Amino acid sequence: MQAFHIHYRNTQGTLMRILNAASRRGIDMPYVQAIPNEHTHSVTLLLDVNPKQTGQLCRDWRAIVDVVNVRAGAVSTDVPSSSEWTTPHPPASVSLSGNAARSAMA
Amino acid sequence: MLRGAEIALQCLRAEGVDLAFGYPGGAIMPLYDALRDSGIRHVLTRHEQGAVFAAEGYARATGKVGVAIATSGPGATNLVTGIADAKMDSVPLVCLTGQVRSALIGTDAFQETDVFGMTLSLTKWNRLVRSIEEIPMAIAEAFHWARSGRPGPVVVDIATDALKAKMDFAGPVKFQPHPKPADVHGDSTFSETLIALLETAKRPVALVGAGAKLAGAVDDLRQLLDHLQVPTFATLHGLGAVPAETPYYLGLVGMHGTRAANLALDETDLLLVFGARLDDRVTGDPSRFAPHARIVHFEIDPAQLDRVRPCELAVIGDLSETIPSFYEEVRRVGLPDWSSWRAIACGPDRAEQDPRGLAAPAIRFMDELFRRLPENSVVVADVGQHQMWAAQRYRASSPRGFLTSGGLGAMGFALPAAIGVQLAKPQTTVLCISGDGGFQINIQELATVRRLGVPIKMVIIDNKYLGMVRQWQQLFYSRNYAETDMSDNPDFVEIARAYRIHGLRLDEEAMAETNFAATSDVLDAFLGSPEPELLTFECHPEANVFPMVPAGARLSEMVFEE
Repeated sequence: MQAFHIHYRNTQGTLMRILNAASRRGIDMPYVQAIPNEHTHSVTLLLDVNPKQTGQLCRDWRAIVDVVNVRAGAVSTDVPSSSEWTTPHPPASVSLSGNAARSAMA
Repeated sequence: MLRGAEIALQCLRAEGVDLAFGYPGGAIMPLYDALRDSGIRHVLTRHEQGAVFAAEGYARATGKVGVAIATSGPGATNLVTGIADAKMDSVPLVCLTGQVRSALIGTDAFQETDVFGMTLSLTKWNRLVRSIEEIPMAIAEAFHWARSGRPGPVVVDIATDALKAKMDFAGPVKFQPHPKPADVHGDSTFSETLIALLETAKRPVALVGAGAKLAGAVDDLRQLLDHLQVPTFATLHGLGAVPAETPYYLGLVGMHGTRAANLALDETDLLLVFGARLDDRVTGDPSRFAPHARIVHFEIDPAQLDRVRPCELAVIGDLSETIPSFYEEVRRVGLPDWSSWRAIACGPDRAEQDPRGLAAPAIRFMDELFRRLPENSVVVADVGQHQMWAAQRYRASSPRGFLTSGGLGAMGFALPAAIGVQLAKPQTTVLCISGDGGFQINIQELATVRRLGVPIKMVIIDNKYLGMVRQWQQLFYSRNYAETDMSDNPDFVEIARAYRIHGLRLDEEAMAETNFAATSDVLDAFLGSPEPELLTFECHPEANVFPMVPAGARLSEMVFEE
């Protein structure tokens, strides 16, 4: 597993383009975290890729208009594993009652 | 106060747009309403795919940005093939689409599609414009990204209420991109490394792609290659960058490349790549591609590097800068004598053989057409067997003299693209070559040809099959011609007549020596006509394109006959 840290300006679609570079290659994304980072945003991905894919992904990411920086490195210990996630999935609605939600789905 | 539509059109004018191709509809109506006084000529095609291919043809012929306009929903989805085509072939293209009212976006409103999401992976950049204030910068940015670096398509999807709204407008704006640290710097010492590689090379070759043309560096490239005198060949989009009569030039390389080019690429120990992606149609089996070679890759787009295998030296940058830079260095040093290698690679033992087999009459027909074309004509080829015959036989005399859908291989490209080319170059002879399958994909654009009166010379190579697919079925699927039969084609001459376009038909008998004097007159009249003309050539149903490198084979494993 390889970790990638990508800084980007949070313009329309930039995060989607970053993710698409992996998904178009059929690469699963077991971990994605995007957060604001000073004046830009950053996204961290863990991907199971070979060295050739690493090179291609990094070059594709750098070619995206609003990507500022791309770093690849080993997986660090501060990346939570999925077993540590405690939030329900799918998330419960915070604004609709059960009946209203069912009604909206009909 | 100006409406958003008027502002958008003023911004287009500020970017140098005087011609756009499109098809109106509900959400884009405000833009069409403002077109009349905009100073922009609009060409109505009969399908949005026709519009986007025509815009591509205009862009490919001129190097300028092509503009296509469509409405929301089906209008936008019909643009998608052209957008993908422009992405693959590095064509600068701006597509403007109308979107449903901003308040309705995301509600599955009538004729709503997620154009932004749909085109995200097919564009260099795209933008959903929700308010009138966003329009000037969105258009400025769109043109910047379409033109800059490796050119490509962009999409600006504008909510219809933004086009209708009014605001004070101070004039078009300039987009200033954020400075971006390059990931691979054009190393000023690359020339030393490259010269060292050349000094030890025994069998160097050069592979020319579209990059030198896109960079406007064709003259620089020719100067460098004339100095190096190494065997040189071209990709489909590199054709025309090096004059065909150049003694060290070996023609097309790859799946249907010449024997000489493919053998030289297979044997080389130093491959100089100038602006090419090295896709699978060029490399054959990637694991056995140029097995003895070190690779030097001149490229503007780092994302294209190392797709096949790592290169020895990547020269990243605009070829109009890197090639002259290298030339200045290499002209000062003595290079090894490669004359014996050149004699082998370019020698008579590897020269092209005369066409033979079932394809010979069709190839002779194309040879006779090409021989008659004036200097600097433009040949626009569709996709299929005729495309490969044309690529093998046409000796383009100008860098933008042979245009086709290469990367995407989109049938239906040629006819609308030829319209764009002819409008860009009204004094130039434009020859559009299609197969019977591809011609029918955008056959409705005959109406556009007639309306405009553009004197395009349209040729249909009619074998009553989807010929290239049928060829693969013959060679690799035991002649199981599954769903490629088109023996019930319409009468194309009658179809042309219905569009008030003169048409005529030739068959293989016309190419026999005894009939050729009359045929010659027909071809002269066809090309000399000031009107649009359609000529159908009926060729043998089982004519094939050779040489051929079967998919997954090594370039040296060419097949020359059934």
